Amino acid sequence: MEANDILAKAESLRNNLSTGFRDEIVKSLYTEAEQIARRAVKVGVNKKYDFDQKVDRLVTSPYAGLPIMLILLGIIIWLTVSGANVLSDTIANLLFGIGDIGRNFFNSLGFIPWWITGFIWDGVYLGLAWVISVMLPPMMIFFPAFTFLEDLGYLPRVAFNLDWLFKKTGAHGKQSLTMAMGFGCNAAGVVATRVIDSPRERLIAILTNNFVPCNGRFPTLIMLATVFVAASFPPALTSFVAAGTVVGVVLIGVAFTFLASWILSRTVLKGEASAFTLELPPYRRPNISRILYTSIIDRTIFVLWRAMQTAAPAGAIIWILANIPIGDSNLARAIADWLNPFGLMLGLDGVILLAYIIAIPANEIVVPTMMMVYLGAGMMIDGPSTNAAIFDLLVNGNGWTMLTAVNLMLFALLHNPCATTIITIYKETKSWKWATLSVVMTLGAAFLVTFTTASIARLFGWA
Amino acid sequence: MTPLSWIILVIALLIAIFLPRVGGLAVYKSYRASQEREQVEDALKHLFDREQHGRLASPESLAGALDLPRGRVTKIIEDMETQGLLESRGAQLRLTSQGERLALHIVRAHRLWERYLTDEARMPLEKIHSEAQRREHSLTEAELNDLDAALGHPTRDPHGDPIPTREGTLPKAEGTPLTAWQAEGPIRIVHLEDEPALAFEQILAAGLRLGQTIRILDRSPKRILLTDGETEYRLAPAVAANVSVAALPASEIEKANAISLAELKDNQRGEIVILDEAVQGFTRRRFLDLGLTPGTIIHPELQNFFGDPRAYRVRGTLIALRKDQAAQVWVKPVQVDT
Repeated sequence: MEANDILAKAESLRNNLSTGFRDEIVKSLYTEAEQIARRAVKVGVNKKYDFDQKVDRLVTSPYAGLPIMLILLGIIIWLTVSGANVLSDTIANLLFGIGDIGRNFFNSLGFIPWWITGFIWDGVYLGLAWVISVMLPPMMIFFPAFTFLEDLGYLPRVAFNLDWLFKKTGAHGKQSLTMAMGFGCNAAGVVATRVIDSPRERLIAILTNNFVPCNGRFPTLIMLATVFVAASFPPALTSFVAAGTVVGVVLIGVAFTFLASWILSRTVLKGEASAFTLELPPYRRPNISRILYTSIIDRTIFVLWRAMQTAAPAGAIIWILANIPIGDSNLARAIADWLNPFGLMLGLDGVILLAYIIAIPANEIVVPTMMMVYLGAGMMIDGPSTNAAIFDLLVNGNGWTMLTAVNLMLFALLHNPCATTIITIYKETKSWKWATLSVVMTLGAAFLVTFTTASIARLFGWA
Repeated sequence: MTPLSWIILVIALLIAIFLPRVGGLAVYKSYRASQEREQVEDALKHLFDREQHGRLASPESLAGALDLPRGRVTKIIEDMETQGLLESRGAQLRLTSQGERLALHIVRAHRLWERYLTDEARMPLEKIHSEAQRREHSLTEAELNDLDAALGHPTRDPHGDPIPTREGTLPKAEGTPLTAWQAEGPIRIVHLEDEPALAFEQILAAGLRLGQTIRILDRSPKRILLTDGETEYRLAPAVAANVSVAALPASEIEKANAISLAELKDNQRGEIVILDEAVQGFTRRRFLDLGLTPGTIIHPELQNFFGDPRAYRVRGTLIALRKDQAAQVWVKPVQVDT
């Protein structure tokens, strides 16, 4: 018989099939598999099964379930933030040291013009070094810790616990996992949405992932929380107040995720909350080498590589902006002044907006870029070394108020995804439409919220 | 402005208007053409629908169905006659065989789209008709065959209407309107008419759904009273006429003795009898992949503290299902051997 004959025959036979024949096929496959398994596998008394059940009862119980979840999340974030601090300094010293050597070498050659040296070492290289030193350490801690919980089998239980909330907003319980991943990096969070098998819910998870602040945005939040909020508390409490403020901002972000999911599932992504099936695998002892491989190779290196591709050009642009003189100032300052009225309207200022425009490739460089413009420097720099000096520079030197600090935190939380994340959204959805929507939606939320808080604060005379 | 810039502006404007394919005029023309084609196709559907119900369409009924003025409808009828799609005899319009073939294509597209929107995109039932109405005009025969294959060659649309086969035959619609059903005993809802939309929304709002097993409790000229064993439904006869029912097939009788997985108590064990017919496409595949096949023993093991979802033990694996998913799996409680 020819292939076409067979197809024709199948076509004609198909009409005689009963509607449930697919169910029958699967059923017979399972029966066969069960028979094989019965011959090959002996089932004895299973102690591990009882233990698993006990653990499951505990982690999903009404009283212990939520606290356990919050405590674990708290521990991971605390580990990441405090551990990264130490590592960041070490890496920064090392990389900036290399930069100094390179610059000195270029200078000692004598024939290389200053602007080539500046462009390469204070622009491109500094951008790269800065992003690596701020980004790498938290990821090196966060991703293994996250992968540990994943490997342990705990994460599906989180999805199980929180699903009712997501169901209410028309989303999928597994979105809680992609959000948790978002703390590490939003681009990784977007990739992680592959675990959500229904397209509508997956798109919701992709589009809202950015409302979870990633590692790269933590430095901004921590700096503001320490300098502005914690400063009015006794020194012993500083770190706790700062941490509490950051947690508060994170919770606002979570609230926005739910709000955005709810709005999306009633507008552009209309539809029922759909099939929710979630496997809760048995707990198992985490496999350290697999954890290291997944977290370092698949996640950290992947994200870092994408970030480096965008950080280098950003470093170049920043340097150019800071080194093209206009009058007795530079181009960066001029653009910031031009943006200033709009910035003030949002309770921010022109420099902040400029920093966020340049920092689209990587949020890690927002603070150093701001400091660069405020201090009139020719390259990205750390701010003053003490909190009091930073406070003085921002408030007395550049007219910041409490409103500026609060709104910058909100803006850092809500604003558009970084270039890496936008590209990842495009790659995951294969559509510029969704990538654009993710930018428009977040930016719209950021403008709306900061404008509202600024207007309210001014109305009541707070700012 | 200088004269030169005026000239440039005018030239640019002319180009924007007259550029082939992307110019304003071309875009408007292709918009008009596609609009006309859609009107013709909607007219075909109307004629076909009338003939299915043993009546012939008239220019008046067509004007009503398309919601267009008489003059426009007359023009459409003339166009369709020259294309050989219909014959008009006085006030009666009849499809030619070519017209019928095209009408079947549109009906097939509409119903396959409805199936897709329900099974794969999982749109709510009251939204799919208008969405399918928009999409039915866009597919070629080959694309439609692909869609058909991707959906697994479904035979009924989500309202219970038969879907024409690729050979162009339309299986007979089953069921009797609720108002005409006389026999006693449990019956099954096999069709919910989606037009008019208002009546359809009332049916859905009452909580009736396709595949549901019901019993007629009482009928009077003012209302028909139904029950599914738990809830009582009250329908006006005009609305009830849009619900078609049939005798229970064998699987339904099995289902009648079963309860849904969602109703299974925490300490009960159940044997899966059948997956509800309302679950199709993506969700059904997922259920089968997870091993929720008939004959499987299943029992609830873990309760979320908000009551939903609940996790069930199946073949040694723990699987969480939301309540509305669990409600689509029919089980028979079995004795616990302790």
